Amino acid sequence: MIPRTLFFKIFIWFWMAAALIIGVFYLMIQISYNQSIPQRMRTSYGEAMSLYAEAAVHTYDKDGPQPFANFVSRSQKESGTLVYLFDDQGHPLTSGAGDEEVVGLLHDIDTQPPQDRYYRLVNNRVTWGKPVIAPSGRRYVFIARLAARTVGPPFDISVPRVAVSILIAGIGCYLLALYLAAPLKTLRLTVQAFAQGNLGARVGPSLGNRGEFADLGRDFDNMAERISTLIDSQKRLLADISHELRSPLARLSVALELARKSSSPAAAGPLNRIEQEAERLNELVGQLLALTRLESGAERVPAETVLLEEIVQQIIDDANYEAKPQHKEVTIVQLDKCRVNGSPELLRSAVENVVRNAVRYTAPGTAVEVGLHWKLATAELTVRDRGPGVPENELDRIFEPFYRVSEARDRASGGAGLGLSIADRTVKLHGGTIAARNVEGGLLVVIRLPLAPSQSTVQQDQATFSPASLASG
Amino acid sequence: MIPVLLIDDDTELTKLLQEYLEQEQFQLDAAHDGVSGLQKALNNQFSVVVLDVMLPGMSGLDVLKQLRQKTTVPVLMLTARGSELDRILGLELGADDYLPKPFNPRELVARLRAILRRTTSGAAASGKPIRLADVELHPESRSVTCGGKAVTLTGAEFDLLHEFLRNPGKIISREDLTKAALGRPMSPMDRSIDVHVSNLRRKLGTYDGNHERIKAIRGSGYVYLLPGEQQ
Repeated sequence: MIPRTLFFKIFIWFWMAAALIIGVFYLMIQISYNQSIPQRMRTSYGEAMSLYAEAAVHTYDKDGPQPFANFVSRSQKESGTLVYLFDDQGHPLTSGAGDEEVVGLLHDIDTQPPQDRYYRLVNNRVTWGKPVIAPSGRRYVFIARLAARTVGPPFDISVPRVAVSILIAGIGCYLLALYLAAPLKTLRLTVQAFAQGNLGARVGPSLGNRGEFADLGRDFDNMAERISTLIDSQKRLLADISHELRSPLARLSVALELARKSSSPAAAGPLNRIEQEAERLNELVGQLLALTRLESGAERVPAETVLLEEIVQQIIDDANYEAKPQHKEVTIVQLDKCRVNGSPELLRSAVENVVRNAVRYTAPGTAVEVGLHWKLATAELTVRDRGPGVPENELDRIFEPFYRVSEARDRASGGAGLGLSIADRTVKLHGGTIAARNVEGGLLVVIRLPLAPSQSTVQQDQATFSPASLASG
Repeated sequence: MIPVLLIDDDTELTKLLQEYLEQEQFQLDAAHDGVSGLQKALNNQFSVVVLDVMLPGMSGLDVLKQLRQKTTVPVLMLTARGSELDRILGLELGADDYLPKPFNPRELVARLRAILRRTTSGAAASGKPIRLADVELHPESRSVTCGGKAVTLTGAEFDLLHEFLRNPGKIISREDLTKAALGRPMSPMDRSIDVHVSNLRRKLGTYDGNHERIKAIRGSGYVYLLPGEQQ
């Protein structure tokens, strides 16, 4: 598997580019060297060879084989040049017929269009040839193998050498990629820490003077500073509001009890009403604050593993305790083990709100059915009541704050109309979904929450062996 | 008159409560910040301390922490409603019970009475020391030793352990435990008994270093296991 990090990409692309440049460079040197050979052959060195060929052929043609042999052997001794002479028919006039280079060159001279001279280059030694017409009119072919090596390419082009150059380029590219990607990694870790709720996370001066990266780091720090200030002040504001709204309520309830003690029994009715309204106001304040906290983003979800089945079990125990006096019941249809990541307190209040809502609306003598199902990547919680349900076209609206299906009945049941909104925001904060639909004789609310990674790994393993994945694979 | 200390920064509320509690035979002394509240609590003999968590200066939880280092006076905490964390932290730090604010003063009186009933009747309903394996409980002195070492328990924790040791190996419902340890019926959505149980577990440690003494039975309650019974 190829890592898809920026570091890896920079490294690979730069290295590939460098390797390409190195390859083209060597290739061009090779080509330009090869192309320069004919030119060198035509220069003064070619002129000298021509003179030598003319002289040798003259000697043979005029004086016979022996003087020619003397002439040739003398030059051979001095320079090491091997000389071959062929007659018009291609028969060798010298002792040896020469190796395949010589034969090949002879063949070239016979077959290819006439040109002044021919040459072949093997192992940097030139085999040079020229047809010569002697004064007698006979045609000879003169071929010489030069002893001296010609000048090679400016440097040796060999496979190990090219490989080593590419490797060195690779090290350079690696360091470059490291230099470019390291600040990004620093930035990423900081952003991650910030997103996970560490509002104090800053890039700081760690990026030094790395141009745009350092600028980006500074910009991030400024942004983080601003966000954390906003969130802090939001939190403080919420705490203050909570305190300020509740203090009068606390005093009110004490004053109420004092009034109760010193008043006539006739005042009991209105006083009870005051107490009830104060309680309702208090509950409303609590729910409003919870909702505001959820929507403002001041609430952060800790990545804590929550045993959903335990929470659900406890809520059902408590709800049963509350439901019994109303001749209602909460039953468990299924309770799978489900691990989710999040805040146990928030999830508890979300599930509690949904269950309480169901208990509130289910008809006396019936049961609310709660199920927790393990479904591959999600935990599915179903809460079904036996109540009046909700008009089909208003199903989505029940999660809106202060939504009421029926004003009159709701008052009697004492709901503030915020419980489901709180559940909705909480579930969404945890990356899940909540939906409601009418089923026969009641309402079904379904909460889906993503399972914690450890549990969804199991799910992935199972999915690998499912027929669908085999078919698509 | 029963001496009670109220540490709360709301002076108007304390005045009203003073008046109300006087009619209920409580002598209420008030402090309006953490530092002076801690001083008063340490220098005088109160039957109960009522402590607000949200205090200027020194927070209620800090007051509780310092108070618990010196005395085992019963503490009733007033917490902001919805702030589960404060509640759990408070109980973990050794508060005997809590009441979400704003509260009904009748509920406050009921809680105060419950705490007093426990602490005063505890001695009356004493009896023989109970001994189970390495744990020894002395009802007269309200002291507990575990493996020969003294264990400091709050009133609620002591009563909880007493209830467990009277019925070892039997499942006791959370309702019954709440009644025994806190002297009041369990209210819905009330997790305080679970916090007290986990405090008790922590203070007593485990059998042989890795076996829990108290086991939770899902949907029913808790059971204090006999040594050698746990798997």
